[in-house]
Amino acid sequence: MRAGALVLALALTAHPSMAQRGFSGSLLLSLTEHRTDAGFGLERSSGLVFGAVAGRWLGPQVEVALHVAGGSLDASTPGAVDRDLGEIGLTTTVGAMPWLALRARAARRVYSTPIARQAWTLVGVEAEARVAFTEQHTRALARLGLLPVASASGMPRPDFAFTAAAGLEQAVGAITLRALYSLERYDFPTRDGAPRREQLSVLTLQARLAAGRQR
Amino acid sequence: MKRLAFGLMLLASIAARASGQGSTAEVLAQAHDFYEQLEVERALPLLRQVVSPSWPFEVTADQRVEAYTYLGACLAFLGKTDSAVVYFRAALERDPFTDPDPGQFTPAQRELFGRARRLTFAVAARRVAATRIDPRTEPLTLVIVTTHAATLRVAIRPVDAPGAVILLDGASDGLRELNWNGLLSDGRLAPPGRYEVLVAGRSRLLPRADSARVYFDLRHDPPPLADTLPELVAADLLPERLPESAAAGDLAKGLAVGAGAFFISGVLANRELGGSMAAGPAVIAGTAAVAGATAFLRLRRRPDVPANVAANARRRAERADSNAAIERRNAARLAATALIISPAAGIGP
Repeated sequence: MRAGALVLALALTAHPSMAQRGFSGSLLLSLTEHRTDAGFGLERSSGLVFGAVAGRWLGPQVEVALHVAGGSLDASTPGAVDRDLGEIGLTTTVGAMPWLALRARAARRVYSTPIARQAWTLVGVEAEARVAFTEQHTRALARLGLLPVASASGMPRPDFAFTAAAGLEQAVGAITLRALYSLERYDFPTRDGAPRREQLSVLTLQARLAAGRQR
Repeated sequence: MKRLAFGLMLLASIAARASGQGSTAEVLAQAHDFYEQLEVERALPLLRQVVSPSWPFEVTADQRVEAYTYLGACLAFLGKTDSAVVYFRAALERDPFTDPDPGQFTPAQRELFGRARRLTFAVAARRVAATRIDPRTEPLTLVIVTTHAATLRVAIRPVDAPGAVILLDGASDGLRELNWNGLLSDGRLAPPGRYEVLVAGRSRLLPRADSARVYFDLRHDPPPLADTLPELVAADLLPERLPESAAAGDLAKGLAVGAGAFFISGVLANRELGGSMAAGPAVIAGTAAVAGATAFLRLRRRPDVPANVAANARRRAERADSNAAIERRNAARLAATALIISPAAGIGP
């Protein structure tokens, strides 16, 4: 909760004038694969996750977006269990340069299985490079970020957590289509002689409509 | 001693020449006084002295004309009409503008002067006075004269260029004023330079012709003009064709995205978890490769940038519109150009 407030405060102080406003909305379809190994072997589950993002421009270069996502991941390895995934988060994006955006995000993610429920709190910063192709309609994307605050209920904090992504976006009229492959990796400290590792890889297809400001 | 006498004589001669004009003027004034007092016998020798080749003092053209005129008048008064006409003609030949003042000359004298006019043919144009005129509202006035009825052609032309303007081509008799509006034959304002007024006439009474020229300098006094916008150079225009490297650059961007996806999947993903999903990087790499290859082929086939071509065309059109507006404003200002006229001595400076 405090992390979300921090992200919101960052957005508001980043551009206090709020003179130029606009809205954006996105729909997401993600092929999501979750992998974890808590010392008992690899557990893998995957499935489709649906999401939506609502964004608002607070200035020429500042956007705050709220996202929600949810879906079911089916177990695909022995020992793994099916789980549901739900997430809500707040993201602030600042256009530092025409080709570079800096982003702060806070999210609450929940994995639910028939036997347990695990909540994650994630706060991170990212840098996203956007390099336009010659005709400007297409842009290449690359993202790298750190998750300095990542905690999961019932587990110690990971030693190291980061996120990386690569993809493309294509403007088609007022709609921007985006295809992005992203990876979240969490390396936890060894506990009871066994290291724990988690990883979420996602292939996302996103359609985004902006109103009041083209981007 | 002889040398001293010679020197004194020389000095006296120089002094006399230096004061010659004054002496001529004094003699003429004296003769004029005698004439006014009807003492023509005393005026005649003075006037004859002035026109004599042996007269030691300088005589201006106007003084000579005056002397001939009064000689004719004196002789007319004495009844020597033929001689009077001869001197009147001498005055007319030197200055066709000569015209006896009715207040000083009797009708008989003026009648003799008229006879002299009919026997003499000469044309002249008065020197152009220094002036400044606005050709939109006032003309330059030229004064020409013929001693008697003639067919006359009066033209103004630049001395070093074509474009004569005919001010008169027809009959004329005596003094006449002609107006010039400052335009050449093509309707344009006369450019700065030296101009010649040519008066050529042929007598309608005698088998004679005559001509006269006067010159003047013409300068423009225009209000300040605005410069037109300079020609657009490469720096002002957007590139209308993409460089050859653009196609390769787009291909490289597509391949880089694909490589990045595989890098994330293969290197950044946790190997102890068996890597990452295979479909994700494959889909992204494939899409990026197709996008890069498509852009590469399209740019190789059609490197034009239509948006830039259109933008450049807009810039050129805007510049042309701006220049047209500037030229219109300049034309309006030039139309208000005043002409500064000053007399000149000949065709050259």
